[in-house]
Amino acid sequence: MHKVKASNLTRLIGFVLLGLVLFFVSNRVDELRVYQGASVAMYVVAISSIILLTGYSGQVSLGHGALLAVGGYGAALVRNEFNAPVWLCFAAAVLLAALWGALLGATAARLSGPYLAGTTLALAVGLPSIANQFKFLGGEQGLIFDIGLPPASLGEFFSQYKWFFWIAALTALIAMWWLQNLLRSRYGRTWRAVRSQSVAAELAGINLARSKILAFTVSAGLAGLAGALLSMSISTVSPGAFPLSLSFALATGAVLSGVTTLGGVIIGAVTLVAIPEVADTLTQSIGASENVIANLPGLMVSGLLIVAVLFVPNGPVEQLKHRQKR
Amino acid sequence: MIGKNRRKLITASAVIAAGSMLLAAAPAQAVEQGITTSSIKLGITIPMTGIASPGYSKIPGAMKAYFDYVNANGGVNGRKITLVVKDDQYIPTLAVAKANELIFKDKVFALIGTLGTASTKAISRSLQLSARGIPSLFVNTGYSGFADKKLYPTSFSILPSYQMEAKVIGKYLDENFAGKKVGLIYQDDDFGVDALNGFKQAGVDFAVKIPYASGSQGVAGVAGTWITKLQAAAPDVVVLFGVSSATAAALGNAYAYKYAPKWILGSVGGDATTLTANKVPAAFLAGSKGLSFAPAPSDSTDPYIAMFMDVNEKYNKNAPFDNNIVAGMTSAFLAVQAIKAAGPNLTRKSLIAAIEKSSATFANPALTPLGFSSTSHVGATGYWIGTYDATGSLKPDGGKYTVYTTDSGTGAVVVSTYKRPAMPAKGLPN
Repeated sequence: MHKVKASNLTRLIGFVLLGLVLFFVSNRVDELRVYQGASVAMYVVAISSIILLTGYSGQVSLGHGALLAVGGYGAALVRNEFNAPVWLCFAAAVLLAALWGALLGATAARLSGPYLAGTTLALAVGLPSIANQFKFLGGEQGLIFDIGLPPASLGEFFSQYKWFFWIAALTALIAMWWLQNLLRSRYGRTWRAVRSQSVAAELAGINLARSKILAFTVSAGLAGLAGALLSMSISTVSPGAFPLSLSFALATGAVLSGVTTLGGVIIGAVTLVAIPEVADTLTQSIGASENVIANLPGLMVSGLLIVAVLFVPNGPVEQLKHRQKR
Repeated sequence: MIGKNRRKLITASAVIAAGSMLLAAAPAQAVEQGITTSSIKLGITIPMTGIASPGYSKIPGAMKAYFDYVNANGGVNGRKITLVVKDDQYIPTLAVAKANELIFKDKVFALIGTLGTASTKAISRSLQLSARGIPSLFVNTGYSGFADKKLYPTSFSILPSYQMEAKVIGKYLDENFAGKKVGLIYQDDDFGVDALNGFKQAGVDFAVKIPYASGSQGVAGVAGTWITKLQAAAPDVVVLFGVSSATAAALGNAYAYKYAPKWILGSVGGDATTLTANKVPAAFLAGSKGLSFAPAPSDSTDPYIAMFMDVNEKYNKNAPFDNNIVAGMTSAFLAVQAIKAAGPNLTRKSLIAAIEKSSATFANPALTPLGFSSTSHVGATGYWIGTYDATGSLKPDGGKYTVYTTDSGTGAVVVSTYKRPAMPAKGLPN
């Protein structure tokens, strides 16, 4: 008992230290990096939402982009209608997306494997275009999500992007801290039991459906938070910001991170942000044609996915742990 | 054991995060980036791949071709123009990321020709273009908001607003189809709302109005229902005010249903090359009415078009010459005129001021006056109406451009007496 408490404390200290490192780093890099840092934080939350769902509770989602969209729209609506502070917008995004997740989870609990993948995929295709049906969602143009300028007390030269980064990084840190605590709790153990051996779990007295729905709800809430962060960083929310390719990129990020542990989530997030830039540098240095430039990022993501599945099916982090144990 | 690993992981993650961000810590940027005494760097982000790319992906190539032509002849005020092109796939998130790269990594002086209302809005907001004073020249969208100087002080549009277009069509209907039944297909968003406002001001009374949700035109069977509704109401003339794919879907289904009223095609969806590539027979298009503010791409007697054709052949690998090439080169041409007018001591501020103050003297292909002023940032201000011929190309009626001009408000639609400034020798700035 004592040991558990101590390790909880060290983890908390770890997160705080990480936060401090990020804080100092954000003051030393240029704006492009700060913006990319905010994107990394967004991806960390989004990918961990998939890891929770797939790696811990054994359900598949190819349509997380749709849940991000729910969060993004929720945050923007609360901001525009009630002029709510940012944290309240984020809370609304989490709640709204979690509500959707609960509804979806109730359906999902009856489905498995390819059927569940297909259902969530259909959601990713269909949901964002619902915005076109309702005037208050702004149609194809979407809505403005303007969190306002950074507080004046931070100084005149404090940039908007640094403000975004601070908010995104802090949000991601809190979310990760909460999530890894949750996964170590009774719920985390229940989810793992359901994933590994559902029959055994049921015999042990676990309500399968309830456990799955709960996982879907929590995962959706996190996805909604990621959606709010994404909308904040581009200051708008529109159906076009949540294409099918976003859902696929997130799934790829989860595989690269290793779907069974939360530890590698930063790897997937950094990769997703870095790939377009690496591709850009590569094509510029070899002077490739327009066709190559357009397709290289996609090729690199797919290539990495295949390599990851072939050589580190559980993700680089799990692989490393495995080797250390031997 | 697990806890220990966990801690190692956290440390590792911190190192990775810090390292990845420190990799390219750059020195503070100069006050006016992207410009030297011998060069100017501009940037464009536009769909080069993806669903919205057909046609539009030709715009940057056309711009580059004209800039190369100017550079080969000494540049503008001694400066040569380079254009950095990024692909945003028509996705606002990507558009912002690409615009960030353009401004913070490629260090461009100004943005030019960003395409799509949602993407352009996102870029402007997220990058705080107005607070940073970064010009966003000649955006490729007719959404009236971008012409509003209060909302977007550093953005300039080039297309006339959708309201203007609707008012011009209204005037045409009044003169040629008075007392006849009129139908309308329009996009159910800001694009369509702008248009409906214009039609209302022009006093057009539609016998049937069919809104469609953006994207629904691609769903099997949807466009067929538009035609059934039209057939039921039996209008004499139908206005198609949608994007290319919707216009193509309407015409393609009408052709299949052998339904042929008089068609009037809005400029957004009226590019004949795109329509015929999307299974609308040129012969079915023949006789329909269309609108444009620039000379027809087929009009080689126009000095600008002739010069553009020449530049296209020499600097753009002779790409098929259409509206998109004309649009790209027109934007590039205007940009060059603006840079020239801003003078040798070019700054972002002086560039914006030059467009606001002296656009009336800018040589440019548009057949309508430019609306740039210290209060408005709208580009072209009207349209000429023509007829598609048997090969599908839009030709002015009677071989002569009758140009209508108006505003985005309650102003009347009048026949323009505007004479555009003569093209400078060889289409060069100096």
